[in-house]
Amino acid sequence: MTKPVVAGVGMIPFAKYPQRTLVDLGAEAAFLALQDANVAPGRVEAGFFANAVGSRLFGDSTIGQNVLWEVGVNRVPVINVENACTSGSTAFYLACNAVAAGQAEMALVVGAEKMCVPEFGLINSGESEWDTQLGLVAPASFALRAQRHMLEHGTTVEQMAQVAVKNRAHAAGNPMAMFREPITVEQVLAAPMIVDPLTRLQCCPIADGAAALVVCSEEMARGLGSAAVRVEAVVLGTGGYESPQDLARWETDFRVCAQAYEKAGLGPEDLDLVECHDAFTISEILHYEALGLCPPGDGGRFVEQGHATLGGRVPVNPSGGLLSRGHPVGATGVAQVMEVVSQLRGQAGPRQINGARIGLAHCMGGDKAGDTKSCTVAILGI
Amino acid sequence: MHTDNEQDTLPLVPKGIAAEAGGTGPVLIGGHCPHCRRDFFPRPRYCPGCMRPPQERLLSGDGVIYSYTVVRIRPPLGLPQPYAVGFVDLNQSGLRIFGLLNHGDIDRLAIGKRVRLKLGPLGQDGGGQACMRPYFSLVAAEGDDD
Repeated sequence: MTKPVVAGVGMIPFAKYPQRTLVDLGAEAAFLALQDANVAPGRVEAGFFANAVGSRLFGDSTIGQNVLWEVGVNRVPVINVENACTSGSTAFYLACNAVAAGQAEMALVVGAEKMCVPEFGLINSGESEWDTQLGLVAPASFALRAQRHMLEHGTTVEQMAQVAVKNRAHAAGNPMAMFREPITVEQVLAAPMIVDPLTRLQCCPIADGAAALVVCSEEMARGLGSAAVRVEAVVLGTGGYESPQDLARWETDFRVCAQAYEKAGLGPEDLDLVECHDAFTISEILHYEALGLCPPGDGGRFVEQGHATLGGRVPVNPSGGLLSRGHPVGATGVAQVMEVVSQLRGQAGPRQINGARIGLAHCMGGDKAGDTKSCTVAILGI
Repeated sequence: MHTDNEQDTLPLVPKGIAAEAGGTGPVLIGGHCPHCRRDFFPRPRYCPGCMRPPQERLLSGDGVIYSYTVVRIRPPLGLPQPYAVGFVDLNQSGLRIFGLLNHGDIDRLAIGKRVRLKLGPLGQDGGGQACMRPYFSLVAAEGDDD
């Protein structure tokens, strides 16, 4: 098995693009990644395209072929990937596996989403699911976890608000982020209540956007001359969906993170940065614990003490995370990997973590029986 | 307001997960695998443990709030604004299940409080028609239904 590397990255700023099509957004990111890798599209031997809601919003399907054709990638296998919020990270997982298995020497990963349309509504876990029919919406799933975490571990609303404040401060250094103006704990807590205890500034905003990665074998990367970043491990897991689920200690999250560390032969103490799925403030607190950045139950105190802030023990979401970068669902998992790659290459500008050698990208998606439908973790090194 | 007669004719959404059971009040329609001795809600086609088809098992709707929240944004499905949802630990089966909570109880909800299943007119179905839904309602501390 050859080790996959990321040889090129590209993305467009996450924002609202009412005048542009989904295909147009994806194609620009793909172009930028190919240009960054300094490769001609004819060298790409497989394409993986991630999108989560295009089929629902626009009735489109097999969008990846449209996007990849725009950048000269054709005649090769193209796979369209939908895996909720992990659509993009799942596409990356598949591309890494294809390269590792020798099925493709070079693969292109593109994640794109256009969702800032009237009447988008709220994300749920599927219109026909019985719990959706009983009023389950994505923010409620996480509010229910927050309530338990507060009760069991004494986590406070101020600590949760600190996650939003920190990620917004990080986003100030990221021109790709949707929201870059600083906010305060007071502003976060005074924002309109969405689902108790989560206010609007504790819920990630929807966005349009696209991101892309060129993944190839180490051998091929050596000939390209671009700064390649090794994929030390990339794993994907699903939930157990057994009842009762512990909402304050997410078994699937812990299990998948542990698998990634084991596969990479690394641990939380080795990490220089983390990009994680902060769809809601409480999510990031839960992920600190699952990732072993702090003991179970200590996530609120971890952010309060500044350990997750740039300059702290393990900066988490230096990009601004979903909370400030915005969450174009299919693009998010790809943008997370891009942030890790940019940091390891030393190309992260004002938010650069000096000397970063090892970074982790964590993503989660979907909801079933109080558990997640998908969790991915990638560990990258240079 | 609906009369009892009108309520009787309203469809229950979602289908097949709860029913009136005479004198004991409504029940949840779950499954039970005698081989694995596991209960399920809702009832799956196959037991994930042994792949045998689980039997239907009517589950008592008495339980305790494990977690709850109040959804304050514009509600889906014609539900009240605000409305409440939660996870309830069912006393008899030990299952922890998601469900609607009585929006009339919003100011009194707390983790650990006792609840009981009810069926009543609540929101709309996918076609915008009024429908019944199962929801959990707080039970008075003495154990009497409020």
